[in-house]
Amino acid sequence: MRNLIFAIALMGLSVGLQAADPTKQINAEISSKWETSKVSPAEPCSDQTFVRRIYLDLAGRVPTAEEAKAFLAIEDSNRRQQLVDRLLQSEDYAQHFADLFDAILMGRKDEHVYDQRVRHGWRSYLETVFRENRPWDEVTREILLARPEDPNKDGSVWFLYERKDNYQAIAEAVAPAFFGMRIECAQCHDHMMATEIEQAHYWGLVAFFNRGKNSQTDNGPRISESAIGGFSDFANLEGSSSPNLLTFFDSRTISEARPEAGSKQEDSDTLYVSADVNGDPREPLFSRRAKFVNQVLDGHPMVPRAMVNRIWAILMGRGIVHPHDEIDSMHDPSHPRLLDWLADDFATHQFDIRRLVRSIVLSDAYQLSSIKSSESVSPDVFAWYIERPLTAEQLARSIQLVMRGGFDNNADVVKALRQQILDVLPDAIEITVADALYFSNNEKLNAFIEQSTSPNHLVWQAAQLAQPNQQAELLIKTIYGRPAEASEIDAIVDYLNQRSDRRQLGISQVAWSLLTSAEFRFNH
Amino acid sequence: MNQPKRRSSCGSDEHTIHRRLFLQGTMAASTASVASFNGLFSVPLLAEETKRHGKKCILLWLCGAPSQFETWDPKPGTATGGPFSAIPTNLPGVHISSLMPKCATIMDKLAVIRSMSTKPSEHFQGIDALTRGDMPRPPFTRPILGSVIAEQLGQLDSPVPQFVLLDPCPEGNEFKAFKAGNWAGWLGAQYGPVRAGGDYGIPNIKQLDSISQADHSDRESLRKFFSKKYENDRRSAAAASHNAAFERVKGLMSCAPLFDMESLPQSDRERYGGGAFAQHALQARHLIENGSTFVMVANGMPWDNHVFQHEMHQMLVPELDNVLYQLISDLEQRGMLDDTLVIAMGEFGRTPWLNDARGRDHYPKAWSLAMAGGGIKGGVVHGATDAEGFEVTDGKVDNRNLFATIFTALGIDPHEDYDLPGLPTFFRVEEDAHPIKEVLV
Repeated sequence: MRNLIFAIALMGLSVGLQAADPTKQINAEISSKWETSKVSPAEPCSDQTFVRRIYLDLAGRVPTAEEAKAFLAIEDSNRRQQLVDRLLQSEDYAQHFADLFDAILMGRKDEHVYDQRVRHGWRSYLETVFRENRPWDEVTREILLARPEDPNKDGSVWFLYERKDNYQAIAEAVAPAFFGMRIECAQCHDHMMATEIEQAHYWGLVAFFNRGKNSQTDNGPRISESAIGGFSDFANLEGSSSPNLLTFFDSRTISEARPEAGSKQEDSDTLYVSADVNGDPREPLFSRRAKFVNQVLDGHPMVPRAMVNRIWAILMGRGIVHPHDEIDSMHDPSHPRLLDWLADDFATHQFDIRRLVRSIVLSDAYQLSSIKSSESVSPDVFAWYIERPLTAEQLARSIQLVMRGGFDNNADVVKALRQQILDVLPDAIEITVADALYFSNNEKLNAFIEQSTSPNHLVWQAAQLAQPNQQAELLIKTIYGRPAEASEIDAIVDYLNQRSDRRQLGISQVAWSLLTSAEFRFNH
Repeated sequence: MNQPKRRSSCGSDEHTIHRRLFLQGTMAASTASVASFNGLFSVPLLAEETKRHGKKCILLWLCGAPSQFETWDPKPGTATGGPFSAIPTNLPGVHISSLMPKCATIMDKLAVIRSMSTKPSEHFQGIDALTRGDMPRPPFTRPILGSVIAEQLGQLDSPVPQFVLLDPCPEGNEFKAFKAGNWAGWLGAQYGPVRAGGDYGIPNIKQLDSISQADHSDRESLRKFFSKKYENDRRSAAAASHNAAFERVKGLMSCAPLFDMESLPQSDRERYGGGAFAQHALQARHLIENGSTFVMVANGMPWDNHVFQHEMHQMLVPELDNVLYQLISDLEQRGMLDDTLVIAMGEFGRTPWLNDARGRDHYPKAWSLAMAGGGIKGGVVHGATDAEGFEVTDGKVDNRNLFATIFTALGIDPHEDYDLPGLPTFFRVEEDAHPIKEVLV
């Protein structure tokens, strides 16, 4: 058996070394590492597992019974690929990835802030990015330049705008979001462990943005930019001070005339040109933000690496560099060649997110069972599909779908769960007691389940069935998307028989027990 | 006079209607879990004797790392000593910082270690080493002190959470990142902390009016049947963490009053002082009195004073001084000090020199901490540093010696091993590091 696995691994490797197909490249690199670390991968996952997994990962929800059935009925060996291609074109995909990137780029905030993001177009901007598969480098430029050329891109302003002229907050958000690096440490000193991240990078990044100012215009929120000011020094811990020049990690310093110490700069109209878009703030001739976008961001090696590593982490449960946003000398990639290759491939294929996502989910490693073949193997060899908890939105949509047959992205249950489950890409899986208390005692969630009793809702449908065992089968089939086992039917039947006086309520409670079990809570 | 709520208030009726069925289901499924990740480690049963002693521990986690010069090891009048003077204590010849007048009156109850010398100089690594006792050995995660103590000394069938983390502050750079990690390590999620913070309360802790006690309990049994089945069939660590969290719910709900600060006498609350750290220290006492085994009081990382260190310590140290004084006095007054170990420490010390922002930077080479109660001898100052506090000159102690001391004080064998077939043996404290005999009772 072991020889067979090695033979397969070697075949994969030999193909991979010449392959231009990213999926083949992934297969080759991953299996090569299995071989060198003498790891046997898990079994390939079943179609039944795959259909739930791929809907959760690409559409942000479980499949309906009809969708799963339709997939399982296809008799084409290419059916997984076909489903992937169809889901990548779906509106669900745009919504799910907009959810993920809203949380990753902006962080979860209260619902009031979330509503502001919607009202000012940030949310719809993100949806468009994924719906139209906009090149990630262009999107990055739009977000950091924040000068939308047309109303469809107005929301791109919000990344900077929500941070309210807090330039350090902007720098600390830009670095992980677009360069995959955390630089907070470098505020007071060069990063003490990852010494390549210097204090000058932190303050340089601050300087690129510190002439911006939030402005409310007739066109909506905009970031105006001054042509003068924003010169300051930063002091290191030894006390020597340095000017915060326009510079960032792995890029050259942008030259800029600095005024003599003590001299006062005069602002003047001659330092500006009017904006391309009527009603937008005028632009300085020397725009620090434009310099950043055109001379630092453009072609920067970390931009594709950061996105590749993050998409990998979203789909594979952890990054090639883990944590996904700490790509530095302290955190070695598990598969350095693969990260290089994928980043290069991503950049040479117009930063095509869909192509990247597709190549990963079609890989062998993505399609492994989540049941490990061995216990004492590090997760960074990707020898099994790493279980992960559903995000708030995945969970909220899936609960609605199984209980009521449809879902509403603006339902109260989505809002409530969004406030409870904050992470969409956790570094480590830990379900907290706070979550368990929420599922047990939260009024809104329980009301949603108890009130799912209209005709065609699951509880109502189950109540129409004469026998408790039929009811049990329907509940498990609908909620778990698989046939019930005998022991499970017995447990439910026994429970329902005790509740023959309040059968419908009993069915709701069975539904609660299935929805709050690990099998539903995790993508596996 | 304070009348703490009795533990009996936390009990609740056992529901037996479906008990047999679910017990069967759970047990049948458990046989499959022999090969689970946790099962691979043969952790020895805890000694009955220790259990009878009922030892407990409160860790005041001074995250960010306090300065030894402004607390336990002052160097007045030297180049490194800073602006504060030293004051005599009730231990003849022993001086501590003048910022700690209250602790100076109870030094006979404290064991101060002035000769801590550890390796990691960055917060994340320092927090890891000083809360777990050793550096990481991936891919296995060493459990945090509270998890080991909860596992060794705690009573898992108690409804009162055995390991509580009182942590009001979700932020705080490296501590935040650290908190997101795996606390219980190879012991398994059931030994992780129950976290409470913010408003000192726990959201969603009250049972819904719309659901009867019996229904609440029985639907949870059904949930457990399904979720455990999944965990066991798949040997899923993720599901184990999920199920462990639900295991806590019932006990926590019955303990809701324990987390209600309003139930504590106003005079106690005032004595400890305002602010999350002080109030949580009081809550820690309350939890320990009512059956918790380990309570960790944390509060972001306020001690990381690279800038304006003296000004910041001028606020932080007197608060610590009062909190330690009140806590130790309360425990003693209640006859609980002998069984309750109190530890006040951070992840390292601060530099003898000042930076230009009048801050002190990270310094693991020579620093101090304090302990009291629970198997620790009071009135001991162990170890010493040189005149300006650069080096340890006597009685050097590292994180392993410290953990050996803590475990020994609590009656836990520090050299117990964890056997994992096919892999090197892990020890509770590696390399036979010896405890500091001088501070043990």
